Amino acid sequence: MPSEDTKERIAKVVDVTRTVMHYGWIPLIIYVGFTRSNPQPSLINRTPTSITIHPVALFSILDHYLRRKDDQPRVIGTLLGTRTTSSSDSSTSENEIHVHSSFAVLHSENSEQVAVDMEYHRTMYELHTKVHPKDVIVGWYSTGGEGNLNTYSALIQNFYGQETAPNMAVHVNLSTGLEEGSQAGVKGYVSSPVGVFPKPENCVFVPIPVHLQFERSGVDLLTSTAQLPSSISSQPISELESLESSLQNVSEMLDRVLGYVRSVLSGEVKGDPALGRYLMDTLGTSTDDLEKGGFTSRLQDTLTFSYLSNLVRSQAEVSSRLALVTS
Amino acid sequence: MAAQSMAAALAASLPAAAATPAPAAPTYEAIPASMSKVIDVEADIQLTSVQLDGLVVAKILKHAREVSSIANAHGLLLGLDLDGTLEVSNSFPLPHHLADDDEKSSKSVARYQTSMLRSLKEVQADDGVVGFYQTSSLGAFFSQNLVDTQALHQDKLRHGGVVVVHDVSQTTRGNPSFRAFRLTPQFLDAYKKTNFSTTSLANHQLTFSTILEEIPLKIRTNPLLKSFLGELATPTGSPLTDATPDKATVSAIPPSFSALNLNSGSSTRNLEQITETLDNYRTEEGNIGYITRVIAREKAKAEAHMAKRKEENADRISKGLAPLPEEDAYRLFKIPNEPSRLESMLLLGQLDALAKSLGQTSATSLVKLYGATAGSG
Repeated sequence: MPSEDTKERIAKVVDVTRTVMHYGWIPLIIYVGFTRSNPQPSLINRTPTSITIHPVALFSILDHYLRRKDDQPRVIGTLLGTRTTSSSDSSTSENEIHVHSSFAVLHSENSEQVAVDMEYHRTMYELHTKVHPKDVIVGWYSTGGEGNLNTYSALIQNFYGQETAPNMAVHVNLSTGLEEGSQAGVKGYVSSPVGVFPKPENCVFVPIPVHLQFERSGVDLLTSTAQLPSSISSQPISELESLESSLQNVSEMLDRVLGYVRSVLSGEVKGDPALGRYLMDTLGTSTDDLEKGGFTSRLQDTLTFSYLSNLVRSQAEVSSRLALVTS
Repeated sequence: MAAQSMAAALAASLPAAAATPAPAAPTYEAIPASMSKVIDVEADIQLTSVQLDGLVVAKILKHAREVSSIANAHGLLLGLDLDGTLEVSNSFPLPHHLADDDEKSSKSVARYQTSMLRSLKEVQADDGVVGFYQTSSLGAFFSQNLVDTQALHQDKLRHGGVVVVHDVSQTTRGNPSFRAFRLTPQFLDAYKKTNFSTTSLANHQLTFSTILEEIPLKIRTNPLLKSFLGELATPTGSPLTDATPDKATVSAIPPSFSALNLNSGSSTRNLEQITETLDNYRTEEGNIGYITRVIAREKAKAEAHMAKRKEENADRISKGLAPLPEEDAYRLFKIPNEPSRLESMLLLGQLDALAKSLGQTSATSLVKLYGATAGSG
């Protein structure tokens, strides 16, 4: 039997525990909830959910990578753009980051330390805002794939986090695909601190989706140039030429479909009903409404335009010659 | 003497030099033939073509899209020239300055330019200004501004610099166009004398088509960009297993067929602009006509005065008096200077370009129209 003394002591301990539990329970739950959930919620919900990137930013990164010094394993720089918050649902709000452009920042890293030229970064940002006043710093980029996310990345991320405060900085990692076994690609990350005591060098990079946003025609021009063996194309391309190449492209695709349909008909390949339905929907589009009157009126309009333009041009030519006549 | 020793090293590696042992001391006076195309200190080699890097193309396109259609976007081109090809490897946009506080804004632009160039140099980017770019809509790029800037560049820059013109309206139709130009010598001559009177125009044989000469322009993608674009355009299987056939493969850059769009658009806007330019031209012609009439009137007056004075003098001589001075007659009448025809010439050039672009659009849409009816028939 425990003595009266011991009993009293136990009762006291239970009492204290109860008080602690009473006041400490909710903070504990919040703490556990914060550290265990993924992605990390912050008190103000500003965690970016996706990144939309413009090709100019990517091309600048590639150019910077090309011009790096020999002893630089990777290059880093600042990403500029805008943040948009659109609440699609009542509960979740989408925090999109639009990256419009990027500029290179000088940095050096070795086994002991990492240094970022902050003054350069500030100067470039000020210069940039003169032309694009709406763009703000949204994060930073580095090259070299996932393997390069190290302690220094965490430190640089921490630095950019201070620049973008109170918003979170994003990190875009561009793999140039030059190292063996790596594929060219772009990945986006946000960071979240780990550990009991937040330290700048401790953080987890949480991947977020990256989309590409571009001017259709510009990228078309560059991809078509890139497909040429010499990777040099001359300008200007006449519209008829581009029309012709598009038509040839369509014709090739039709040939491919025709080949597939023939092989299904002859029984070599088993037909896919979903594909068949899709082909019927696509190719069965009626073009009857083109015939009804639209053609003639459109033709007349176009011919008038053509006539007018020729008239104006010849008048302009005559007028400019007449200006040379001296009395 | 890095260039010289490099030249010597290269000369030594040539087969001809290998047969006879190369002299130990490098010769300083003559640049070897193999390097004469690379070392071009005095910019003697004429530019024959301009080569735009993919990065520059993307940057100009982006800048053009961001700036509203009324204002023209412009910026500087950076790069190097090598054996007659001007390689443009980078560019940066210039801030759009407003018409008021000209003095202040031009100063801040100059400051912006120099600090931008210095910053770019620090990260090993090209920092040699080789020209500028300007965006235009519907091909009407002739403007006083363009001519002024280019004339300024032609004096200052190596090779005189080029202007790259980008047409926004063609880009929206799916066929971005870039053209490089440079002022012709005869125009530059007239511009320097700031004399655009009729006689000067006739002497220099200037019409709107001889203001600028076009330089062939090429677009190049560097191998890194090439492989990156290739990677982006490669379709990969969709993560969804039950995707419809049109969504079965995804790629970051899907193929597009915007060139097949039957609606050529923008014809109305093109016509509007032609009318507007015609109106401007009429006003300008009216001004010139007015000034010409004033000149004719004043001249007639002066001549009448002279005739009168001569008569008077003859009279006085016959009477044995000293003749009155004859030369001050022209000073009595203020004959205005002959009007400058530059403005009207530029307007005509704009008109011609607008009409040309309309003609091209209608020609393409004719082809598309017939093609569509042939396809549906």
